[in-house]
Amino acid sequence: MGMDRQESVKSLFTAQSAKVDTNKGDSYYENLYAQCRARLDDLKKLAPLNNRMDFRQSIEEEGVDRRDFLKWASATTAMLMLPASFTPLVAEAAVLMNRLPVIWIELQDCAGNTEALIRSDGPKIDEIILDIISLEFNETLMAASGHQAEKQLEDAVEHFKGKYLLFVEGSVPLGIDGYYGTIGAEGETFIDHLQRLAKDAAAVVAVGSCATFGGIPAAAPNPTDAKGVMEVVKGKPIINIPACPANPSNMVGVILHYVLTGSIPELDSLLRPKFAFGYRIHDNCERRAHFDAGEFVEEWGDAGAKNNFCLYKVGCKGPMTFNNCSIIRYNEGVNWPVGVGRGCIGCSEPDFWDKYAYERPMADANIKAPTGGVEKTVDEFGLGLLTAAGIGIAIHAAASVAAGKKESEKENA
Amino acid sequence: MIVKKLIEKIEGEAELDFSFSEGRIEDVRINFGFYRGIEEILVGKAPRDALVITPRVCGICNHAHLIAAVRAIENGYENAGTPIEISNKAKSIREFTLACELIQNHTKWFYMTILPQLEKLLGIQSGENHALKASYLSSTITKALAIFAGQWPHSSYAVPGGVACDPTYVDVMQAESLLDESIRFFEQMIAGLPLEEYLEIESASSLHRIGGDLGNVLHQMGVNGMSQMGYSHDRFIAFGECLFFKPGKSLATTVSNVDARYVEEARQEGSTAKAVSYKQRLYEVGPLARAMVGKEPIIKSLHKRYKDSLLTRVFARIHEIALLLAYNKKLLRNLTLDEPSCTIIGHDIKVPDATGTGVVEAARGSLIHRTTITEGVIEKYEIIVPTQWNLSHGNEEEKGVAVEAMVGSATTEEASFIFRTFDVCSVCTTQ
Repeated sequence: MGMDRQESVKSLFTAQSAKVDTNKGDSYYENLYAQCRARLDDLKKLAPLNNRMDFRQSIEEEGVDRRDFLKWASATTAMLMLPASFTPLVAEAAVLMNRLPVIWIELQDCAGNTEALIRSDGPKIDEIILDIISLEFNETLMAASGHQAEKQLEDAVEHFKGKYLLFVEGSVPLGIDGYYGTIGAEGETFIDHLQRLAKDAAAVVAVGSCATFGGIPAAAPNPTDAKGVMEVVKGKPIINIPACPANPSNMVGVILHYVLTGSIPELDSLLRPKFAFGYRIHDNCERRAHFDAGEFVEEWGDAGAKNNFCLYKVGCKGPMTFNNCSIIRYNEGVNWPVGVGRGCIGCSEPDFWDKYAYERPMADANIKAPTGGVEKTVDEFGLGLLTAAGIGIAIHAAASVAAGKKESEKENA
Repeated sequence: MIVKKLIEKIEGEAELDFSFSEGRIEDVRINFGFYRGIEEILVGKAPRDALVITPRVCGICNHAHLIAAVRAIENGYENAGTPIEISNKAKSIREFTLACELIQNHTKWFYMTILPQLEKLLGIQSGENHALKASYLSSTITKALAIFAGQWPHSSYAVPGGVACDPTYVDVMQAESLLDESIRFFEQMIAGLPLEEYLEIESASSLHRIGGDLGNVLHQMGVNGMSQMGYSHDRFIAFGECLFFKPGKSLATTVSNVDARYVEEARQEGSTAKAVSYKQRLYEVGPLARAMVGKEPIIKSLHKRYKDSLLTRVFARIHEIALLLAYNKKLLRNLTLDEPSCTIIGHDIKVPDATGTGVVEAARGSLIHRTTITEGVIEKYEIIVPTQWNLSHGNEEEKGVAVEAMVGSATTEEASFIFRTFDVCSVCTTQ
């Protein structure tokens, strides 16, 4: 092992980019509080859109009591990295979500995010909230279909010009002039469809790894020349919520943040909200103690697996992957891949489909050294396990140079 | 005259071009405007990458893809002369989770497609929020799935040799309580009678005992002539040996053996979806096919009376929910936790150069993965999905299964409803 063990752990947790600034000082939060207060008061004056359900009423219908709702509000406040004093505002913002027009389109996807979102996943209240937000257009949810649905979409774009959030699921195929993916009776290509709808959006939210980075369709040799939204939509604030599927809590978090503050959340260099992607799977992993103790599963089915040891050696990408699954988990918090001894496949990182897929332990995977240069395996660099984890951070740190600009942009969204 | 119609509220979307003759549909052309190229992407990749990539073909039957992919690799080892033993525990866990996926699928199809579309077709205004019901049962049962599989959709806990999870009794108890809650939902909302009593129904003449939303749908379909429409070729096939399903084909109600080697894929002009046939003949796959091959009493009785009509087809899928719930209950009760979860293969042992086939019964019917591994990488990967069977265009002698069922309808609305009873998945079909 190249570096002293204690030193490397220390450097791991003092690296700038691995830290999210969760305390920005009293005056910052006082200003923000006042800004949110004014924003919510303005929203209250607006009538709810499109006859969506009343939030309080549907909470009662679902049998969720007020206490559960407040518990959810305080957990969500923490997730958004706001002080506890913001809890009542978050609760109020949730109720006001039906003032925000959202248009949701599906492009080159497997419908997995829609599945995760509206049908099968996410904490109960998040799910209700997604019934509440004013989805002006979502093919799966809306009653209309065919020409009627297309008309509804046109009307929504016209009526909410410049105000709606555009959620995009799926990648954008550019091959053969975009004809690998068409939509609607007119056979409009995905790329035309996306650009037309993005033009009048307040901001574009790319949901899932396909919409953010191209995902599985973009895997080598990328037969359809699939791209992520940020590569084709220019001149609009873009928020990326990667992972395969994206976690519904993070989708709700982004919407809620927008309702609450009128701005998009602080983003990292890959345009991911820092509240969700500001730390690595590894930082809060339930098996972390075993990593630190050097206790590893060597092969599936061995004694280490029975003892829930660290999965790094069977290919877990937790140390290189920025996401909050280790806290939020999946399927209403029931479990997550590390919980069943499978390890993380890094599905919220770009290129996971080519670089991280399956069980290649990181020790065997080709990655770039923090200093750049050609890709080599960790063993070829002569680094030990702990420092290998550090590389994930270093890569991120290098990329974060551009992040400052992104952070200032969001205020204007 | 040709009428184009866009079909949504399926997995993805499809465009149907209806040809009319004398006021009746005489042919239908099914098109999908969608392609990703998953089979092309798999070429040249490490054999086990299929375990991460293929589930992402589909957001709703991803788990079936995972099981087909892992079986294909295990079959590859076997064909190369090194069979891998899978413990009963690992087998049971894979089956339990697969059954959960089928249950969530059938429930969503019933509440999010069939019920609303039937109401629309018949002009009924129930004012009910069917989507919330679908969401309740499907989220409950996928939580039970996630206890063993880590997450749904897109779980990856199944590995060659078994499963990565090592559940405790607490996990099993938690899964059992979620399963019981799902059974309660089935009893109260779907069937309106206790599961045990429901499963005693073996004859079409006792169908009236069924209440709940299913009873309602059966009644509406019955009085609107849907037991006499939507007939297709009345030929069924199933390949997967899993859950309580058996492989076989049913022709004129006679069941005989099948061999997945005779399954053939062919390109179809002007479509990204490939046609698929068994010894040059088209077959219907899915819950109705499984029940016919497995000689499920109530379905046989219904079929005797109403053949492969809309009513029989819709009922077969919902009926499967009950069978799967009961089967899962049994699986959990018999789970032996002290067996190994995974047979150790050894990391250094590469997947052999071989061809492997993995077959599984997915929600919509037989799903087949074929992997050809040469010099340590995938040379060719074939994914044959259930919807391909049902939606093939057909040939000169006969029309495709779903097309045949739609032919003769007077309106595109009616035909679209028939189309949806096949539980179409366009993202799987075109990949």
